[in-house]
Amino acid sequence: MKKYFIHIIVCLLLCLHVNVFAQSPLLNSYSGAAATVYLDFDGAEVNGTIWNEQGLIHAAPSGLSAASITWIHKLISDHFKLFNLNITTDPAVYERAPIRQRTRIIITPDGSWYGQVPGVSAIGSFIWGDDTPAWVFMNALGNNPFFIAASATHQIGHTLGLQHQSLYDGYGVMITELSGGENNILSNEAPLMGIPFYKQAEWKDGHPSTGVQNIQSDTAMIAGAPNYIGYRKTGEETASSENAVKIEKQEPGSLELNSSGNYSYRLFDISGRLLTQGNLKTGYNEIRTNPISTGVIVLQWSGESISGAQKIIN
Amino acid sequence: MNTLKTILSGLCLLCSLLLSAQEKNTQAELPYSNKIEVSDRALESLFLAPENISVELAPGFRINGKIENKSDHGNSVISILIKLNNTEGSMLSISRYKDPQGIIYYTGHLLKLHEPDGMMLVEKDKRYYFIETQQRFLVTE
Repeated sequence: MKKYFIHIIVCLLLCLHVNVFAQSPLLNSYSGAAATVYLDFDGAEVNGTIWNEQGLIHAAPSGLSAASITWIHKLISDHFKLFNLNITTDPAVYERAPIRQRTRIIITPDGSWYGQVPGVSAIGSFIWGDDTPAWVFMNALGNNPFFIAASATHQIGHTLGLQHQSLYDGYGVMITELSGGENNILSNEAPLMGIPFYKQAEWKDGHPSTGVQNIQSDTAMIAGAPNYIGYRKTGEETASSENAVKIEKQEPGSLELNSSGNYSYRLFDISGRLLTQGNLKTGYNEIRTNPISTGVIVLQWSGESISGAQKIIN
Repeated sequence: MNTLKTILSGLCLLCSLLLSAQEKNTQAELPYSNKIEVSDRALESLFLAPENISVELAPGFRINGKIENKSDHGNSVISILIKLNNTEGSMLSISRYKDPQGIIYYTGHLLKLHEPDGMMLVEKDKRYYFIETQQRFLVTE
């Protein structure tokens, strides 16, 4: 009897351990692509890279909930849906990707080993072939998921060879290295490679920090040499977008939606608590939820080749 | 006839200007303050050197240091990271890769974090140069 009791205790402790150190949800924005960006929310020990002047770096896990990770993954993926590039949270997908077409973005609370900055990266490291990671430091971003996603997208841009989009005056003198879209106060748009936090940030064609004489087309550089990522084929974009699962009707305790394929789904509240999970079939589906689950909830779904998420105000 | 020639010449000039403008849209067009040519053979010797390394890449440009890391991905890409003794704390990261046709290329960076300048290995017309440039063009926030 005592022996069984010990086994039960050990099993419970193991389950607790697995739960505490649970990995991020495994998400892929475009599984068909070889070129891969791995969002690492799980913490890492980094050694043998240009960041290791002072030795081994222990990066703590992000501590973000599955719902927040899913939401951040979606925000970042949306910026790359033009490209033949997979944004993944799955380390195994990263390991399988071509060595000169992959990068890892470590999203971790503390960047004090480098400095009080929102993130740092080596420009063009996507093709270096030595797994040099880039960094996003959450504490410097107030742990705000929107800012974390914007900063991660900005760092991914750097690893793909992009310089900052800058602002110059009429004489070619740099006004600011990081453009925030100031040149048009009537516009709500800003370059992702400038300050992407306060306006609707997008890839831009503009003058980079290397000089007013240069033109940097963000999208052309991401897709072209030396990354050789390319663009998604026409028609695939819509199949992989949020349109794949469309919410038709929303009532307390029920969600009615149309699914473009067979997917598994999970529904979380904003704190990351799993509300319900199951499978969606092609066509009409109804998900029953707790009627008292009000506020913001996140629907995460995934299939063989695509996955996504939607924020729902209940 | 002369008018046609003038128009054609103008068009050619315009095309070449457009092409040269497009060429600027590459990472290799970094502004630099200094450049040092290094031979393929010198670069290759870095990959053959023992852990404690001392290689002259070009006259007056010697690499003294210790190999901190070496990764080999099926022989198509080999990367080494060298911590330099002669420029305190600097790291030389260099990769050698072979394309499907068997042609060998090198990429590399010589950096010390938070310093104003760094170096990048660039290839132009099948020749390699270490260019000295502002580090914000190589490592940035």
